[in-house]
Amino acid sequence: MHLSDRVTGLFLALLGSLAFWGGSLLPAVPGQDVGPAAFPMVIGAGLVLCGIMIAAGIGHSFEAAESEEDDQAPGLAQHLGRMGWLAAFLPPVLLIFYVLVANALGFLLTAAIILLISARALGATWPMTIGTVLLAPPFVHLIFFRLLRVPLPDGLLTMPW
Amino acid sequence: MNSLLEAIAMVSTVEVAIAILASAVYGMVIGALPGLTATMATALLVPITFYLSPIAAVATIITSSAMAIFSGDIPGCLMRIPGTPASAAYTDESYAMTRKGQAELALGASLWFSAIGGIVGTVALMVMAPALAEIALSFSTFEYFWLSLLGLMCATLVARSSPIKAIAAALLGLLVACVGIENPGGVPRFTFGNTDLLGGIEPLPALVGVFAVSEIMRAMVSPLPPPIPSRKFGSILAGQIDLTRRFQKQMWRGNIIGVLIGALPGAGADMAAWVAYATSKRFSKTPEKFGTGHPEGLVESGAANNSALAGGWVPALLFGIPGDTITAIAIGVLYMKGLNPGPTLFTEKASSMYALYIVFILANLLMLPLGILMIRVSRHVLKVPRAVAMPLILLLCAVGAFAIGNNPFAVVLVAVFGIVGYMMERNGYPVAALVLGVVMGTMVEQNLVSSLIKSDGDILPFIERPISTGLAALTMTALLWPVAVWIIRRLRSPERAR
Repeated sequence: MHLSDRVTGLFLALLGSLAFWGGSLLPAVPGQDVGPAAFPMVIGAGLVLCGIMIAAGIGHSFEAAESEEDDQAPGLAQHLGRMGWLAAFLPPVLLIFYVLVANALGFLLTAAIILLISARALGATWPMTIGTVLLAPPFVHLIFFRLLRVPLPDGLLTMPW
Repeated sequence: MNSLLEAIAMVSTVEVAIAILASAVYGMVIGALPGLTATMATALLVPITFYLSPIAAVATIITSSAMAIFSGDIPGCLMRIPGTPASAAYTDESYAMTRKGQAELALGASLWFSAIGGIVGTVALMVMAPALAEIALSFSTFEYFWLSLLGLMCATLVARSSPIKAIAAALLGLLVACVGIENPGGVPRFTFGNTDLLGGIEPLPALVGVFAVSEIMRAMVSPLPPPIPSRKFGSILAGQIDLTRRFQKQMWRGNIIGVLIGALPGAGADMAAWVAYATSKRFSKTPEKFGTGHPEGLVESGAANNSALAGGWVPALLFGIPGDTITAIAIGVLYMKGLNPGPTLFTEKASSMYALYIVFILANLLMLPLGILMIRVSRHVLKVPRAVAMPLILLLCAVGAFAIGNNPFAVVLVAVFGIVGYMMERNGYPVAALVLGVVMGTMVEQNLVSSLIKSDGDILPFIERPISTGLAALTMTALLWPVAVWIIRRLRSPERAR
């Protein structure tokens, strides 16, 4: 998702000013000139300066031209057509999904759903997807739960180990 | 001598041997798969290191990164798709060799000179780090402040993008590091009432998000790589001794460039490979042969990217300043395992340092047989469909992030940083600078605030001591260098510069 330098620059300037303002509200340390406010205020000011320069197009000549390749991807991106760029945001959405449902459904089922959706979205065939969905969750569970003792949630389905 | 014997004992355990072997295979496979970088391989490995002894933990990182940097050359050579960004500089060259029917020579050169580069880099690390540690012992907060700032500036200087965007990315990283109560006042800063943010944002979820999740996001909207042609390989290492003799000067130059660039904070194996390839072409007697399947550039840059790996450990071990994105992750592991970076590490934990050197050497020696094996099975490994590999990595991102502290909030952070990394890369902001900012934020702030308290708010003591003056001058040069380049460009061709 390509945005113009003006948009990203102004966003950074806004973020910088918020950091500066937020930093200035922090309480000082008694008897000390420099407190927790100094660093975020310096960073905020720097971000405002950089943001304005980026928005003004300064430094653009140093950048290499990037190729756009959004519309040739298989799977979900192809399916979405002109909105194909939205497909890029599926992985973080699936991570949030993991956080929300892993405790209720358990690791195995949640992992299977994530694998199913992401594999199909990347254009995997059904046999390939089913193979991944059936084999990968128990294998990852074995390594992390059994060998590394990570407390993965059981939920609706448990493994014999 | 005692320390050396202790180090040998530390490395000669079953745990370390298994860790080295398993991470070597893992690194080889991840590096060979296009789109999966050595940094991603390292980031995904960290949750596993929690459960290992200090030496085994560091050994997995050293080994997997070295293997991944080499095996990134394999798809570059066979399919013209670099497995890792560090192979991109000479992908066209090695692919041209494959088209000329010299795939074995190209892959063999990648392997042979990678192993040599890794060993030379290790020797440089062994020589440079203790010598620099002597000097570093006299550093005060003023020197550390300038040094960390210089590190950040170098990262912005070497980024192949707008220097202003790189500085903005580093500032963004520093802002991320501001979150939490670990600040001079011990007050909650930018936590917005969220208890999960009180402890600050750990660099690790940020790294996994920025390097792994953003890569999966990119795969969702990028075309499939072409299928690999089926072929059988002849002898891989045949002809390498001859190449070593013919291009000895290039090999040594590549090694030195690699070590120096690796030691430069923020610049890693990929930058080393680009610079070495460009240098090789610049000083070649036959520059016209470059790009046509000529091994000269391949020798120099193949050696450079692996020697850069060891070089990157010099500032990481000495000052806690990452030499590249891999050591940015490694520093976290070092702290976690009680091997806190600093000059005293070389005196108080000398045996651990020796053990680390031994692991470096072992990893690079192991690279030869495993590399040959990997080349031979590459046509099978490279057939792993992206639509299977990427979902698996996504799952590992979720489980790995959760395993860091058994806290689901880390998974949320991974998702957020995935989006941040993806958006930054798509818009020309270098993520390596962001990562460096996140990793070094606390260090920069602590040294700045301590120095200001010591100097009573006066700026003069920052540039009074000779070393701090030198470091300040270097930092200012790094900051103003892009301005000088811009002015020179403008003077040369006024219509091009903006």
